[in-house]
Amino acid sequence: MPTDTKRVRGPEVSQSPSLFLCHPAAVVLPSQGPRADGRQRDQVDVRPVFVRCGLVSQAKGSAYIEAGNTKLMCCVYGPRETERKDETDMKCGRLTTDMRFAPFSCPERGSWIQGSQDKDFSLMLHESLQPAVCLHKYPRSQIEVNVMVLENSGSVLAHAVTCASLALADAGIEMYDLVLSCSIRQDGSSYMADPSYEEENYSSSVSGENQGRLTVAFLPSLNQISGLQSDGEMTQETLTAGVRACIEGCYKLYPVVQQALAKAVRKAAPPPSES
Amino acid sequence: MATAQVSEAEKVYILHGIREDLRVDGRGCEDYRHMEIETDVVSNTDGSAKVTLGHTAVLVGIKAEIGKPRPMIPNEGYLEFFVDCSANATPEFEGRGGEELGTEISNTLYKVFNNKHSVDLQSLCISPGEHCWVLYVDVLLLQCDGNLYDATSVAIKAALFSTKIPRVHISTDDEGGKEIELSDDPYDCMRIQVENVPCIVTLCKVGHRHVVDATLQEKACSVASLIISVTHKGTVTCTRKVGGGSLDPESVFEMTEAGKRVGKALHAPLMKLLQHEESLGRKTPKVGFLG
Repeated sequence: MPTDTKRVRGPEVSQSPSLFLCHPAAVVLPSQGPRADGRQRDQVDVRPVFVRCGLVSQAKGSAYIEAGNTKLMCCVYGPRETERKDETDMKCGRLTTDMRFAPFSCPERGSWIQGSQDKDFSLMLHESLQPAVCLHKYPRSQIEVNVMVLENSGSVLAHAVTCASLALADAGIEMYDLVLSCSIRQDGSSYMADPSYEEENYSSSVSGENQGRLTVAFLPSLNQISGLQSDGEMTQETLTAGVRACIEGCYKLYPVVQQALAKAVRKAAPPPSES
Repeated sequence: MATAQVSEAEKVYILHGIREDLRVDGRGCEDYRHMEIETDVVSNTDGSAKVTLGHTAVLVGIKAEIGKPRPMIPNEGYLEFFVDCSANATPEFEGRGGEELGTEISNTLYKVFNNKHSVDLQSLCISPGEHCWVLYVDVLLLQCDGNLYDATSVAIKAALFSTKIPRVHISTDDEGGKEIELSDDPYDCMRIQVENVPCIVTLCKVGHRHVVDATLQEKACSVASLIISVTHKGTVTCTRKVGGGSLDPESVFEMTEAGKRVGKALHAPLMKLLQHEESLGRKTPKVGFLG
């Protein structure tokens, strides 16, 4: 188990105060009716998204996304020479992804050392982005994508994929298409699109089949799924319906993302004035 | 992942064959290779199993220890997975080389078992909030010839079936503290219900068709695979797309349906085999590692 030898942490036995609440903090959300923030169930009702590109001046490309309370930012560096000479690939470039959570981003304090869950997210981010980037145009080079989650309020992998593909586009990396992503939480017979942290993690009052979470990464113009991940237990029909709902969610996000990218390009290189 | 070097001509050959539902070793697209399962191979564990699928060999050992339950879920035990890619499998795994692959497989296993029905975690509780059974599932990859996920999941199911957890009694001693006592009879143990433990099916997209149980050569011809874990009732507990390519939504739906069909069909013969091996008791012909 990797331990942190560089920072002086508090005593090992520190615990979150939420464990000592008089009434247990286990939130049981109702399975019917509208959701806590007023959105609808069984409809692809995603949270409104705020997106900006080009916020980090040092990076080749960067993007910041806010959806509800989920806030994350992504920076792209590259293409540059591969650091480790023995991994240089002569025919195509390498894409490295790294996704980290700030320790204050989740309700329970996390650690700075990457746990296996962070590595899992980084791997899924890599699998979702790789089909979209034209790596054969960057032989012997490395493109680094770093995502930092500032606040985790649900659907963090989905928004990380969207943010990372925007940052790659902002960096001028050649891509076949933008990668958009959406996630749903299935609860019994109804689903909730773009769940918040409580909606993602609550243990449902309906015990039975069809409990789970699903995240899909999609390339809209090419109609290809570049990433798919689900857990919980669902029937195959529910899974299929969930994938279709996620794809619809991605189409809803597409115009917003395109506009943000166009705005950033216009700001960086304003069109020549008519003379 | 250990890869095979495949030339372009070989790739075309494999692709054309799969298009006609005929693979290089004569199987159909949805057939598994010859699988051998043996349980109780390591005597120091509480449960163990070894699975050989073609040339892939996986060894799983389960040890049950008494630990503290998770703070948010005080009345359940839990499972911890760890996958080790041994350097015996391929020289690429020497030192820290196999760590990435091992983390990937163990993270997938956590997702597969992350639901209420796969393993009855409440039966692993000894006293709520204080003691519970923690099952450490350690997977060792001995030989790597493709399809690690399937072999690992079958081995875990077999090992859980053969796991014997000793029965404990909680007694209060003189000062009022609780003491745990193991029963004296070494054969007095608790077994785990493995009916609902899912099995993983890996489907590789090769050309326009998908294949189950791909060898390393077939894997080299495919751009993307879908991993789907299915219970005996047909419930899907985890899906994941791996690989650097993209998939059409229609082929994803086709592959999930095929995966569900194949996965569902895998459970009944597996349980029959495990029960048959158990019923033979001491007369089981032990094959061990050199068979």
